[in-house]
Amino acid sequence: MDSNEHEPAEGAAPPSPRAPGIAGLSTPYRVVAALALGAIAVAACTHLALVFLHVAPANTLSKQHAQTIDGWIYPEFEQNWKLFAPNPLQQNIAVEARAEVRGADGDVTTSGWHDLSAEDARAIRHSLLPSHIRQNELRRAWDFFTGSHDENNEPNGERGRLSEEYLRRIAVNRLAPRHPDGTVLRVQLRSASTSVPAPKWSDETTDTQTYYRELPWWTV
Amino acid sequence: MVDGVKRAREAAGRVAAQVTGQALGPYQSAVVRIGFAATWLFFLLREFPNRAELYGPDGPWSWALAQRLIDSNHAFTVLMWSGSGLWFEIVYAVSVLASVGLLLGWRTRATSVLFMIGVLSLQNRSVFMGDGGDNVIHLMAIYLVLTRCAQVWSLDARRARTRGSATATAGAAGPVLWGVLGAVFAYGAATGRFGFGWLAAFAALWVVGGLWWMVDRYEPEGEGRAVLDVLANLLHNAGMLVIMVEVCLIYATAGWYKIQGSRWQDGTALYYPLGLDYFSPWPALSALVAGSGTLVMLLSYGTVVVQVAFPFTLFNRRIKNVLLAVMMLEHAGIAVLLGLPFFSMAMIAADAVFLPTGFLVWLGARVAVRRRRAVEPAADPAEPLPVPAPR
Repeated sequence: MDSNEHEPAEGAAPPSPRAPGIAGLSTPYRVVAALALGAIAVAACTHLALVFLHVAPANTLSKQHAQTIDGWIYPEFEQNWKLFAPNPLQQNIAVEARAEVRGADGDVTTSGWHDLSAEDARAIRHSLLPSHIRQNELRRAWDFFTGSHDENNEPNGERGRLSEEYLRRIAVNRLAPRHPDGTVLRVQLRSASTSVPAPKWSDETTDTQTYYRELPWWTV
Repeated sequence: MVDGVKRAREAAGRVAAQVTGQALGPYQSAVVRIGFAATWLFFLLREFPNRAELYGPDGPWSWALAQRLIDSNHAFTVLMWSGSGLWFEIVYAVSVLASVGLLLGWRTRATSVLFMIGVLSLQNRSVFMGDGGDNVIHLMAIYLVLTRCAQVWSLDARRARTRGSATATAGAAGPVLWGVLGAVFAYGAATGRFGFGWLAAFAALWVVGGLWWMVDRYEPEGEGRAVLDVLANLLHNAGMLVIMVEVCLIYATAGWYKIQGSRWQDGTALYYPLGLDYFSPWPALSALVAGSGTLVMLLSYGTVVVQVAFPFTLFNRRIKNVLLAVMMLEHAGIAVLLGLPFFSMAMIAADAVFLPTGFLVWLGARVAVRRRRAVEPAADPAEPLPVPAPR
């Protein structure tokens, strides 16, 4: 690899085993290669700078160039590495659902609350390879819902409406098999949040009461 | 003064010769390729029974819902080309095959493009099914297309070795793949399914791929081939730089944001995920770790220290390697303890870009010996590639 450190004389015919890299090229091609080197270097550095500004906290530069950054990053280079940061989630948020079912006899009954997250947890327990449908589906759907709704469960825009339909479909998928003879007419969801108790080796006390957030009934 | 200018020019010349003359880190790029292809392949096989619920047209995140979201974010996914179940099965199958192809390094540039299309199509179809692991795979699938990641440990490398590099593109598979991909790209372009960026990227890949094959076939010693080689090296080296910086950004972000959290400061942070139902597949094991305040504190602090420090340790080979080993072990632990095997595998594959060449060569030789003993007494000769200077 030494050969490419000594450029051959200008205009000389290329030696038959061509030197690797830019040194082995004739002048016009060398210009092409040099231009490519410049362009690729600028492109790589620009990309990395934009990614850096995307993952960094909002700052002077990222606010000034927000449009450029978002335009480049979304949708394919989006990333979020705040893994368990700044603080890890400290409460179990279980999503529960119940259904209003018309039975074979035509009577409409309301089922009890089913803890859908507990089913996920059972599937995850003692599994070396938990599935995304158990680990992410309901958990992230609920995050999506709470992130796109206000405290009164009103959707803010299209994302809110999408998350409602998504959650409703998940709930129906999981409740319908429990009522094989009936038709699910409406579903209702609620979350049950319980804080992880403070470690027994710490002197902290944590309120471990369960708090509910109940959503309105949704027609299927 | 004049001396300084001269020295700077010489240094610039050396760098230019390096980045145009070689695709640096052949073993590192190969191990990243194998790592991500294997991760995505295992994931697709593991989720095979659940594929319809995850990405199928009638899953909870239905085709119509995905259409509404993609109308606003314009993410790339060929799954929106048709809402039929058959098309979905084809895309899933092709994604599996592309992973196998990339893992083995077969027609690697083409399979890496297919791999990227598969990853992006499935993930963008149902973004709410993914987690951090999917995010890493998503980025690396794009970056890998830029690299010459099959210089070693690949079927392509073996073909080049046995038939000579000039005929590396010989055989019908190359042109057939090129033709099929061309037809798919043409269909996508004609029906207006690509945004401008993707259209330009696919067109460039396809045209250069064809050009490469022609030059390789008819003028293997010519200057055209040499120019393409230089361009490919430049792209590869830029791609590897992007991959390495991306890994640093991941750790830096993860670490620096943790420092700001009160739970990471008081040394109890790790205790909480161990108490979450979604992240405790082995409750007894989680309880065991969570039971010791000292252990939780050391692991919490250790995690932050390693993540924040890692990018800076790249300037010292020995410390970098120690930290790399620690991080890989930690990810292996996370795989079991928090039940995140695919996330951990993806992170280990990303970390592997920083493994020292000497270790990778040693590892490759051991695997080769094992395989030779297992398969047949006389197999192909060892890698003839010169060992590049350790980074």
